[in-house]
This record gives sequence, C-alpha cells and structure tokens, in this order.
Amino acid sequence: MSTAPQGTHSLAFRVMRLCKPSFHVDPPFRVDPADLFVGEDIFDDPLAAANLPPLLSTQLSKSTDSSDLTYGNRFFLHHPSDAMGFSGLLLLPQSFGAIYLGETFCSYISINNNSNFEVRDIIIKAEIQTERQRILLLDTTKSPVESVRAGGRYDFIVEHDVKELGAHTLICTALYVDNDGERKYLPQFFKFVVANPLSVRTKVRTVKETTYLEACIENHTKTNLYMDQVEFEPAPHWSATVLKADEVHPADNSSTEEVFKAPILIRSGGGIHNYLYQLKLASPDSAQMKVEGTNILGKLQITWRTNLGEPGRLQTQQILGTPISRKEIELQVLKIPSLINLDKSFSVHLNLTNHTDRELGPFEVWLSQNSVHGEKNVVINGFQTMVLPQLGAFGSSDFHLNLIATKLGVQKISGITVSDTREKKTFDPLPDVEIFVESG
Amino acid sequence: MDEPTPATDRPTNQFGSLNNLAHELASLEDLAIRGSWRSIIDKVSRTRSLNLLTSPHDHLIYLSYNVLALSKLSRFADASSEIDTLDDFNSHYYKYETYPQLYPNRSGSMIPFSLRFIHAQLPMKLENRQEGLDRFYLLLKFIREKIKEKESDNLHDSVKTWKRRENFVLNCLIGHHLGDKEFNVCLDLIKDLINRDYLDPVLVSKLGCIQMQIGDIEGAKVSFNRVEMMLNEGKNDGYSFLSEVQFRNLVNRNKALVYLVGKDYVSAVREYEECIERDHTDVVAINNKALCLMYLRDLSDSIKVLEKALERIPTIALDETLFVPGFEVRLIAEIVQVLISKDGRDFARL
Repeated sequence: MSTAPQGTHSLAFRVMRLCKPSFHVDPPFRVDPADLFVGEDIFDDPLAAANLPPLLSTQLSKSTDSSDLTYGNRFFLHHPSDAMGFSGLLLLPQSFGAIYLGETFCSYISINNNSNFEVRDIIIKAEIQTERQRILLLDTTKSPVESVRAGGRYDFIVEHDVKELGAHTLICTALYVDNDGERKYLPQFFKFVVANPLSVRTKVRTVKETTYLEACIENHTKTNLYMDQVEFEPAPHWSATVLKADEVHPADNSSTEEVFKAPILIRSGGGIHNYLYQLKLASPDSAQMKVEGTNILGKLQITWRTNLGEPGRLQTQQILGTPISRKEIELQVLKIPSLINLDKSFSVHLNLTNHTDRELGPFEVWLSQNSVHGEKNVVINGFQTMVLPQLGAFGSSDFHLNLIATKLGVQKISGITVSDTREKKTFDPLPDVEIFVESG
Repeated sequence: MDEPTPATDRPTNQFGSLNNLAHELASLEDLAIRGSWRSIIDKVSRTRSLNLLTSPHDHLIYLSYNVLALSKLSRFADASSEIDTLDDFNSHYYKYETYPQLYPNRSGSMIPFSLRFIHAQLPMKLENRQEGLDRFYLLLKFIREKIKEKESDNLHDSVKTWKRRENFVLNCLIGHHLGDKEFNVCLDLIKDLINRDYLDPVLVSKLGCIQMQIGDIEGAKVSFNRVEMMLNEGKNDGYSFLSEVQFRNLVNRNKALVYLVGKDYVSAVREYEECIERDHTDVVAINNKALCLMYLRDLSDSIKVLEKALERIPTIALDETLFVPGFEVRLIAEIVQVLISKDGRDFARL
C-alpha cells in the first residue's frame, strides 16, 4: 500500500493504523479432571462420590503450583468461564481493515534510520490528500527533530476525522540532512479508501395534524454497529418525539435488570433497524404559514460505536415532508340526497370557499371527461358547465349541481372540477363520491 | 475393543490414587502436566500394542488422553479419526452395567465427559463451524436430560457434576459465538447464566468486556461497577475460585479498560502496574500495559514490558497471545517477536 521512490535514503516511514484494539477470543481445549480421569456417570456410585473429590482436588492444585512453572494450567479448567477463551487480553488488529465515513483515522507513524550514520535536522510532515483538499496533520518545521541516530527511530501518532468518501492518501514527507551534509527529501504515500458505512431510507406519512417519519438505517460495514445515539433534529417550528415499541418482555429477573439493558446492535453487511418519530408543528397558527412546495422536517444525527467504543458520527441531509399544496380554493360536497333514482334528476349541495386574502373568480364548475373512468354513469342534468360569481377574500358560497344517474347500483360522481376563469387556473378535481342508484 | 477380562483383585480403596482409576494414570497425568503431548501419544500407542489395557474404562481413558494430546498438537483430523473409532457414545459397550463382574454395583456411562466436549469442539477447528455448533447444542440438550434424570433419582453429587458440565458447555458456546461476533446470542447466553444465580465476578466482568467490545460503554461500566461492589461486599460466591489477589486484579483490569476506552492511557497503565505489582504472573495486565504504552507512542517501553514478561515467566507468557504491532517484522525484530502459541507448539524467535 505504500509507494516510495527507489533511492539511497537513510530514512524510511512505517505506518500502522491505530484503531482500538480487540479482545482475543480462542476457546481452548481445557477440561476438568473429573471429566478426564473417570467415566461421566461415576458420581452415581456413592463410593466414588465420597472418595474421588479429594483425589481430584489434589491433582488440580498440583497443576496450579506456579513455582513449578507447569503447563498444567493450560489444559485444566480453573474457572468454568475459562472455557470461553476470553481473558480480557487485548490485541491490535493484524490488518488495516476498512475505514468508513464519520470515523476517525488514527495512525502510528515511525520514521527509521536504516543507515549506519546519524541523520540531522529532520523536518517531518504528515498530510491527508483527498479529492477535494489537502489537510495538514503534523508539521515539525518550527521545531525540527534534531537527529536520529543510526538504527534509531522517531515515532508520532496522527489523527484525522474522515469527512469525505473515496480515495485518501496519507502523505509522509521528511526533509533531512544526511551524513554527507546533503539535504534530502523523502516522500512516501499510503493509500486507503473510505466507504459509506450506512444508508438511511425515510418514509413520511401525514395523518391529520401529525406527521410520522420512519427512518430505516442499514449497515453496510463488515462489523456490527452499536447505535449509541440516533436523534432527530427537527427544523424550526417542528417538534419531534421518538416512538418506541412497548417492552415485549415483562421486567426480567432483577439481577439481569441491574446488569444490562439490551443494546441496539445492527448486524453487519445489510442489517437494518427502524426508528419512528412523531412530528408536530410547534404552533397551530403556523399552519397558516404553510409555504408552497417543499416542507423541510429536519435531519437525523447518528452516532454509532464499533470495536471497543470506537465512535463514528454522521448526519443526514434535510429530510423533506410531503409537499403542501396551496389551497386557495376549496370545493366541498355538503349534501347528497339519500334516495337517488335511475334517470331522475337529483341535486347535490356544494360549497366553494376562497382561502386567500384577495378576490378570486368568476368560476366554472363541470364534470371533467376523464377517460380513465370510461363511460360516465352520472352526468350533469342541463348545462354542462355551471358559472359561479366572484368570491371576496375568505368568502364562501353554496350552490347546487343537478345530476342524473344513468345506471343502477353503486355509482361514482367523479371529476367535479372548478376553475378560475379570470386567472385561467384549474384546480384538482374532487375525489370520487359514491352513490347508490335505485330503480323507480 | 477386546473381550473384557475380569479383574482378579478388587482393591479395597478404589480411589486412593490415580493408578487406581486407570492403568498407569499417574504417569499419563504427569506427562500432561509437563505438556509432553507427543510422549503421551507414544505411551498410549505402546501400552495398546503391549495389550496392557485390560478393562474397557482403561481403553476409554487412554483414548481420551490420546485425543486430548492430538488436539493440543493441533492434529485435529487425527483426533477426529481417533474418536470415530468408537461406537456411538451412548452404546451399551460403554456402560458399567454391561460388565457386572468388573464393575459390581455400578451403572451408567463410563465415557469420560471430555470426549463429548472434544467431539463437539473438533469440527470448529476443522472449519466446520455449523457441525460444531450443532454438536454443542445437542450436548447441552443431553446434559439437561441427564440433570433431570439424576434429580429424579436423588443423585445429588451427580447432579452437581452435570450442572457444572452444563455451565461449562454454555461457556464454550459463548466463546464460539463471540469468536464469530454473534454478540446478541452471547449476551442472551450470559444473561441465562447470570439468571441462574451464577453471580460470578469473573462472569460479570466478561459480560462487561463483551458490552465494551460491541461499544455499549455505559452498559460495560454498570457491569464493572457491579463487580467492584461484589469485591467491597466480600462477595465471592463459591463458584468463583478467585483468591483475594485475583479478585483485586480483576477489578483493576476492569478499571483499566474503562480508561483505555476513554483514551486515558496513562491511567490505564497505572491500573495495570498495580496488578503486576500484586501478581507478576498476570499476563493479561502485562500484555495490555504494553499495548497502552504503544498508544502513548512509547513503542520502546512497550517492547521492554513484553521482554521482561518473557524473562520472568516464560511458560506462562508463551501460553497467551501477546499482541504484535502490525508493523513489518524488521521494526521490532531487534528485540523479541512472540508468535501466537497453539498449546504444545510454542516458540519465540529472537
């Protein structure tokens, strides 16, 4: 992964990623003496039950005598949990591993003097080069390292919060004076790629006054992600509460209650977890201030932890709600007669309201010839277009539409549409209304 | 197996020494304590060829030692073949009551339990994890049935033994799931153990470590605080086998982990030093201290700590895997590189 020019350099960089260590796990071949010296059911025999234990415990204590430097403690179990092979011993990862957006890249850098002579006045620099920028991590220009003896070493640790995806290069450079008094320049490059650790899919649903936001987090990494904090930061005028499922298990044994509560752990390589938020507009008045077009709800802040608490942090883009259509004109059906007969005219009582602060209209109302519905079984009786006068600011007027049904049974009144003839604006038709047509 | 021959003289004390339990068992055991696994294989082979094993239980115990030795030498395929020479473990051939002249008044299975355990563990080492897990879970079921059986027969000592084995297998399972990072299963299994009142500071500490591994730092702190409380209350449940020194070291090591995770390596080192002062054979403290020194950019001291450990306690240190910085070998080869030891094949390169 490193490229260095072939040359007669006295110095060389060695780099090791210094992420958090991991616990060593290796279930061993270790047994209890009672499981090796005798048959498994021997304790059924009261004679054995009485006489064996002293013999067995002598064997066990013999093997733990540390002055003996025995290997006995390597195949006898001294504690039942020895079988787990998990002693708390920590290990550094043996390979670079994957690095993800939102994590912190930490590296141990060692510059070695491989030559037989001292090297002086070393100016060391470490930088990260991404597609967009070059970030300085370390610069000893102001206080150069005085010297590194033959076979000696100078070490340092650098850290960088990863905020970009794609190719990254750790550039280590050393400017030094070698034994011949020559000034030499050594650049070395260590490449790595940053990937996206998770994706967030959102769904927004509005039910009356409340908006629900469902966020699904998917883990694309190779390790499990412990969700430390997932918080929704609402946009101004919005408030959010997270909704959690009721506890499925009743309060467990008190000892376990004290010991831990189940963590949210998203499985590696495609595991998901869903979060549900209930959002409300902070004040009902602001409903009047609804802006046409997009509706920004807020964003999700995610903090996760991996190995031994190694943190990662990401924030989503602004999450949008359903666009609010500007309701200037509202058309409503107020009353439909309960008895509708075939081929007999019936009257539908409607209301038209102007929600704006200016005069609108005049208007035309008709049944749109929407080909999706096919043949219409309910049509206007008489003039196909009804004309309505202008409406003042916030004004409203009632009117009647005469309709006639041409078929029996359950039918739909569909496509009642109103348009503003002055502004030449047609509004969305009313949703279908079902009626029942009887004979007679 | 050969025709069993009835023993002519039944010793009055059948359990006085190891040799009463099986032919030359003391010598086998001695070899095992010294880690001379190859010698064990030789002895078993010699003893068999000289037809010195007269009873069925002798054959089984020798086979168990053979299988254990092969496993320790990482000769897993050979160990597996050796076990395959047996019939089904539950066959009547391996029951005491099948040979009433040899084992008067005794009934039940004479299979050493370690054989069942090794039989379950071997597939794991032979890259057949699913088979291994299946065998462990079947073994767990078998043990639980045994416990019920013994309880109904009021065989209290047996019940105790089989419960210990249940605990053992649960711990094995946790270890295997841990190795495969199936942390939710581990947490469930440990919860199961703790629910059975195995309020064991070692177990609760391991729970804390697992919580820490997955990143649940707050959960880990709760577990570790619990352990410290147990120390202060003088609670050492009898399951624990911990000496005072070991218990204190456990608490210090737990504290050190919390510091380490918070990147306070200086305090972590201090905690580990307290452990080492109390018990210079605490390999975990030694290893982890060296690791912290590395994070403090102090590679030289880190290496010194490991060196010192090897000097004072060669066998114990070699038993564990001491961390190896991921540098190219040349960087620290000037000192010592300790490689992962598979028990029985330990070596250090200078």
